Amino acid sequence: MPKNLTTDVLVIGAGPAGSMTAKWAAKKGANVLMIEKRQEIGSPVRCGEGMSKDWFSEVGIKAGRWINVEVEGARIYSPSEKLLEINEKHAGNEVGYVVERDGFDKALAIDAANAGVDVKLKTAATAILKENGKVVGVRAKEFGEPFEIRAPVTIGADGFESQIGRWAGLPTNIALRDMDSCLQYRMTNVDCDVRYCDFYLGKVAPGGYVWIFPKEEGLANVGIGVQVSQIRNPAEARTYLDAWIKNHPAYAKGKTIDVVGGGVSISPPIKQAAADGIMLVGDAARMIDPLTGGGIANGCIAGKICGEVAAEAAAAGTPTKEFFQRYEKGWRARLEEKLYRNWLAKEKLCSLSDETFDKIFDALEGVKLEKLTVHNILKAVHTKYPEVTREFESFL
Amino acid sequence: MPSQQGKKTLHIESSGQLCIYCGACVGICPLNCIYLDETRITFDERICTRCEICVKACPVGAIEIG
Repeated sequence: MPKNLTTDVLVIGAGPAGSMTAKWAAKKGANVLMIEKRQEIGSPVRCGEGMSKDWFSEVGIKAGRWINVEVEGARIYSPSEKLLEINEKHAGNEVGYVVERDGFDKALAIDAANAGVDVKLKTAATAILKENGKVVGVRAKEFGEPFEIRAPVTIGADGFESQIGRWAGLPTNIALRDMDSCLQYRMTNVDCDVRYCDFYLGKVAPGGYVWIFPKEEGLANVGIGVQVSQIRNPAEARTYLDAWIKNHPAYAKGKTIDVVGGGVSISPPIKQAAADGIMLVGDAARMIDPLTGGGIANGCIAGKICGEVAAEAAAAGTPTKEFFQRYEKGWRARLEEKLYRNWLAKEKLCSLSDETFDKIFDALEGVKLEKLTVHNILKAVHTKYPEVTREFESFL
Repeated sequence: MPSQQGKKTLHIESSGQLCIYCGACVGICPLNCIYLDETRITFDERICTRCEICVKACPVGAIEIG
C-alpha cells in the first residue's frame, strides 16, 4: 500500500493547466505534487491541436519539437462557402500552431518536473478529503492501491469532467447550450493546405463549426463541435461530421487513422473558482473561450496565476477562500471580460440562420478590416445589410 | 425495461466497442453521477434520474436509455 503523503500544493491532472500551475507553485518555493490518472501524460489526445502563440512568453513556454506546422492564418467559410480569410496578425488568439498535443503536454510536465514538482502517474483521485468544510486533500489510488494525500492547497485541473470541483461543491455545472459535443478524425490522403486552419460555419455544425487543422501535407485533423442543446439523436456529432466529409471530395477520399472525442464548454465565466483549500483551473474551471472553443492559452495563463497564489497561501498558512481571492481577481482581470463578451457573441451566432451567415460573409467580401473584432465586422455588415445588424445593436 | 425502482435502464457501452472514454458525459451530467476511470465508465444507479442529457452529449452514441 502506498504511504500516505503530505505536500504544500497538490495538483490533480497533468494537462497544460495542471503542469503550468504546478510549475509556478514550485518556482515560488512550494513543495508540489502533481498526480495524473493516466499512464502517459498527454495521451490519448483529446484536442483539435490548434493553438495561438502570442501568450507563450507570459507563462514561460518555449517553442519545441511538438510543433507540426506554423499556419499563416484562418479561412472561415459561410454555409454557401463564401470565404473570409484572416491573416494571422488580424486573427486574435486562435491561429498560430498546429501541434502534437501529447508532446506539448509532456513538454509542460517536464518544465514542471524540472522546477521541482513531483509527479505520480496512474494515480487517480477517488474522493475529496474535507475537514470542517475545508478541502484538505484527496483520497487517491496509485496503481489501484488506495492512500491519502493531504495538502493545504488542492488544485482541480482535471479537465472538462471537473470531478474535483463538483466534489468540492463549486458551481461547475453547465447548461446544454453551453457545451459542444465534439468528434474529430485524423485523416491522411486529404487535400489540406498547411498554410491555413479552416472553419466551416452554419447548419453543417449547429452551434459549433467544422474545423480542418493541417498537421503536414496530406494529413489533417478534421473535426466538429455541435451544441448539445441542438442535438436530437444519439451520435449526432458523428453523423454531422460524416455528412460534411462525404460532401467534400478533398476529404471524402481521405482515410481516418485516429478518432478523438470530447466535451467542450462554451459557457460564461464560472461564478466561483475557489473555496477553502481548493482552486480550479483550466477546462475544469470552464475557462475555454466560448467563441473559439480554445482552452489551452486560458488554462496556462490562469495556471501561472493559480500556481503563484497556491505557493503564497501555503507559505502563509492561509489556504482560505478569502486568500484565494488573489487568484480570482488575477485570472478574472486577465480573462473574464473576453470570456463573457465571447459567450454573448457565441449565443448570438448560435441563433443565426444559414441565410444570415451568408449575408454577413457577403458584406465582408472585399472589405479590408484593419483589425478583426466583432465591432469592426458588424460595422462592415451594417453598411450593406443594416437589417442583419439590427439584432446585434448591443454589440455596436 | 424498467428497473426495480421503476426507472428506465441506462446503459453505457464502455467496453470500448463504442465508447472512446472522452468524458463528455461526465462533464455534462447535472447530478455528477457518472465517473470515468480511464477506460471504465460507471454511473450511480441511485442518483441518475434518466434525464438523458448524457445521451445527447455523447459524440458516438455509446449511451442508451430504454
